[in-house]
Amino acid sequence: MTEAEQAREEVAEFQKRIGALREEIGRVIVGNRDVIDGVLSCMLGSSHALLEGVPGLGKTMLVRTLAGVLGLDFSRIQFTPDLMPADIIGTVVLEEGAGGARQLEFRRGPIFANIVLADEVNRATPKTQSALLEAMQEHRVTVGRTTHVIEEPYFVLATQNPLEMEGTYPLPEAQLDRFFYKLQVPFPSRDELHAIIDRTTTAQHVEVKRVLTRQQILEMQALVRRVPVARHVQDYAIRVLMATHPSGEEAPELVKRFVRTGASPRGAQAMLLGAKVRALFDGRFAASIDDVKATALAALRHRVLLSFEGEAEGVAADRVIDEILKKLPGSKE
Amino acid sequence: MASSDGIALLRRAARRAGRRARASAVLSRITLLLPLPLGYAVLVLTLVKALRLDTASQLGWWLLGVVPLLVFLAGVSRALFTRRSSWLGSIALDQFHGFHDRVTSALSFSQVPVAERTPLMQAAIEDGVALAGSLDPRRAVPIGLPRELGVVLALLLGLCALSLLEVRSFRQLPPPPSFEPMVMSADDIDLFRDVAKELQAKNDDPNALIAVRRFNQLVEDIAEHRLDRHEVFQRMGELERDLKDNLELDRDARDDGLKGLARELEKSGLSKAAASALDEKRLADAEKALRELAEKLKKKEGRPSVAELDKLRQALEKASRSNEERAKNIDQRRRELEEEQKSLLKKKKSDQPDAGTSPDLDKKLADNERRLEHLDREKNRAERSQKQMSELDKQLAQAARDLMRDAGQSAQDLAQGAQDINRMAKQETSEEQKQELLKKLQEMRELMRQQGKGGKDQMQRLQKFGQRARGESGAGQGQPGEGQGEGQKDGKKEGPLRLGGGPGSVSIEIPVPVSQSGDGQGQPSGDKPGSSEPSAGANYGNGHDSNLAGKATELKVKTTDVTAAGADTGQGAASSQVIFGAAERGFVGRGYKQVFTDYQTVAERALSRDEIPSGYRFYVRRYFQLIRPRE
Repeated sequence: MTEAEQAREEVAEFQKRIGALREEIGRVIVGNRDVIDGVLSCMLGSSHALLEGVPGLGKTMLVRTLAGVLGLDFSRIQFTPDLMPADIIGTVVLEEGAGGARQLEFRRGPIFANIVLADEVNRATPKTQSALLEAMQEHRVTVGRTTHVIEEPYFVLATQNPLEMEGTYPLPEAQLDRFFYKLQVPFPSRDELHAIIDRTTTAQHVEVKRVLTRQQILEMQALVRRVPVARHVQDYAIRVLMATHPSGEEAPELVKRFVRTGASPRGAQAMLLGAKVRALFDGRFAASIDDVKATALAALRHRVLLSFEGEAEGVAADRVIDEILKKLPGSKE
Repeated sequence: MASSDGIALLRRAARRAGRRARASAVLSRITLLLPLPLGYAVLVLTLVKALRLDTASQLGWWLLGVVPLLVFLAGVSRALFTRRSSWLGSIALDQFHGFHDRVTSALSFSQVPVAERTPLMQAAIEDGVALAGSLDPRRAVPIGLPRELGVVLALLLGLCALSLLEVRSFRQLPPPPSFEPMVMSADDIDLFRDVAKELQAKNDDPNALIAVRRFNQLVEDIAEHRLDRHEVFQRMGELERDLKDNLELDRDARDDGLKGLARELEKSGLSKAAASALDEKRLADAEKALRELAEKLKKKEGRPSVAELDKLRQALEKASRSNEERAKNIDQRRRELEEEQKSLLKKKKSDQPDAGTSPDLDKKLADNERRLEHLDREKNRAERSQKQMSELDKQLAQAARDLMRDAGQSAQDLAQGAQDINRMAKQETSEEQKQELLKKLQEMRELMRQQGKGGKDQMQRLQKFGQRARGESGAGQGQPGEGQGEGQKDGKKEGPLRLGGGPGSVSIEIPVPVSQSGDGQGQPSGDKPGSSEPSAGANYGNGHDSNLAGKATELKVKTTDVTAAGADTGQGAASSQVIFGAAERGFVGRGYKQVFTDYQTVAERALSRDEIPSGYRFYVRRYFQLIRPRE
């Protein structure tokens, strides 16, 4: 078997696993296919996601289900204003050993799980948020002189409520940038609501089964990284990123007028990684411009900072990105 | 399919799609920008047609059209030469077929060296190659009709329609040349008709008759108003020129010929008289002298001596050859001069061009040229002379030959020579008539010129005068002073009394004072046109009253009517009376004709004798023309 054939098989296996994963999640979560794919993309991209949606849309349920089907450690942290960093990271406690000897021992916080749900992350103080985000970025926690490595795969899903702004601490831009995607959980449709009601108001209880092993997840993450990206696709992602900057050569008028700061290079990384995952979802061997376009919204919406004028006008970041994608041709002349 | 072949296929398809994309872009740019120069052209054409711009303004507007044209060219050039992404074609193919960049990625990864390719890259290449067969660049990049094509077509159609529209420029055309016929009074027409008739009657020379006919035709054309002023003068000029040229040349040639003859004949005592007459151009005398000589030779008694005869023979022989020799001499001189001229020209050519030609040589050449021209004219005259005198020369030569052999025969030859001189004399007469015609033509031209100055008023006056001159009273209206006869209304004027009215009788006119308090019983006299109706009112009558003598008395006596008629002696009234009468009745009547002839003869004599300016001459002649007797 040639390497190409092997790679083809790997891709096919990936697709098969994703199919199984989707199917199992779909048994619990009604609809929200894009959100599920987005979450999976983040996970396979070895990164984290920020979920935004009004309460009761199944955000926590989604993360729980995901943890269930993946058979990974899962912890849920409900962020509150009085939540301290130690509450999530863990703390050093004095313990008495069997011989009566006392020693300082580090007790791991909820952050040390494969899948962490940071519920309503904007309710915690910046200090606590910062502690979480540091762990997300570094995949390790340093307490005292000891560094504690978080076991892979490590995937944080933070949620925030866009309506209740009172008593919240909106995440600063630098910290938002750490999230791979910002996924907006839409309100379910009428049919979806019927299905939700059917599933949640009857005696039937769905038990999800584990579909993937930790090793398989790591393999899949590795495969994602190996997916090649042609130059023109990468170029397109970069052009899209640069177009989010008001000073960008191809920035549309809307960006020039309403955007204060464009996305950071992490935005391009997110777009391309997401594109790779999408290519694999489709069984393709390379990412395409269409993949970049499909991931652009989730990858850039929290990275584009609107100007005061933009906010006053009620211009959403999604509209700006849509405009960029619409105006930017597939290849630069 | 081998990977390389597949890649080649992909590349070809991508290139084709790229070319199509470029072509489409260029076409699109053309149709986008073409309305600019086209619209400008439509605008300018509209301005040109609507405002009827002059050439300078048009040029300015068209030159300004360079700007939209340059914009168009720059735009199209940019579309044509702009560097495009090398993946343009493959991306277009991917987008059309929905291949999610599988073709573009395959092409992109195929550029990576094989060693550096990852398994996924290789798989992507193979994946792309597998699609090669299904690619359709034509459909993927259709070169459709651009949206702006309608505008372009509309503008083109508009431009064509505008260019076809006729611009009506209202130019003021010069009025067509109006034909204004040359008008000559009827009286003058009659005058020149009479002249032509007279010349025709006098002449029997065919050439002269042709000239007279041409003159007559000219007069008739003027009378019929068929010629305008320009044509009349042209025709007169042509006729005059023809007459003059032939006349002068022939006369000079004949004179030369006769002088040549005279010179030779003078050498013999027998022909001296004839020579002298010929020299003085007394052709009748020359004819007579030759005839006398012929008679002398015929007579046996008193015949000239042999020596005299020999001298005469020599003279006749030389005389017969004089014209020929003269022509030969001229020809010889001409040939010599031509040779000289040729050699001079050769010399002039051989001289160094830098040095220039000597002025003497140039002068000599010019002199020779003039002399050659003079000789040509002389030769022409000599030839004419030879032609005119050929018969006489022949006769004289024959006479010379016969003289020593048979005097009688020689005399006959001389008599024939005399006859030829007679012919020449007649020709001279014909020339005189031509001269006369020429003179009339000049008079006519002067008359026309003067009439042209006078305008219509003068013409009207002339016509009125002509009527009066012919004794017409102006359409029979019996105007005052024009009628004659007894019983006029006002008796202060004197009118001639005409006695005798019977058939075969002679009327005698006696001027008598006429009472102004007459009864106005004028009766038509019937001797003037238009006077047949008795006039009424204030006008004079112009005829006799049948009751002039009053009512016949009924005397109881036997009476016999006697008509007394005077004999026509031609004496008539005194000149002053005739002239006075002519002023009243017109220039008619025998008496007037006689008086006129007397006066005119005196006037002509004075004109020929005295030095009178030509302008005055015309007026005098014109005066006599106007008062000439009418029929």
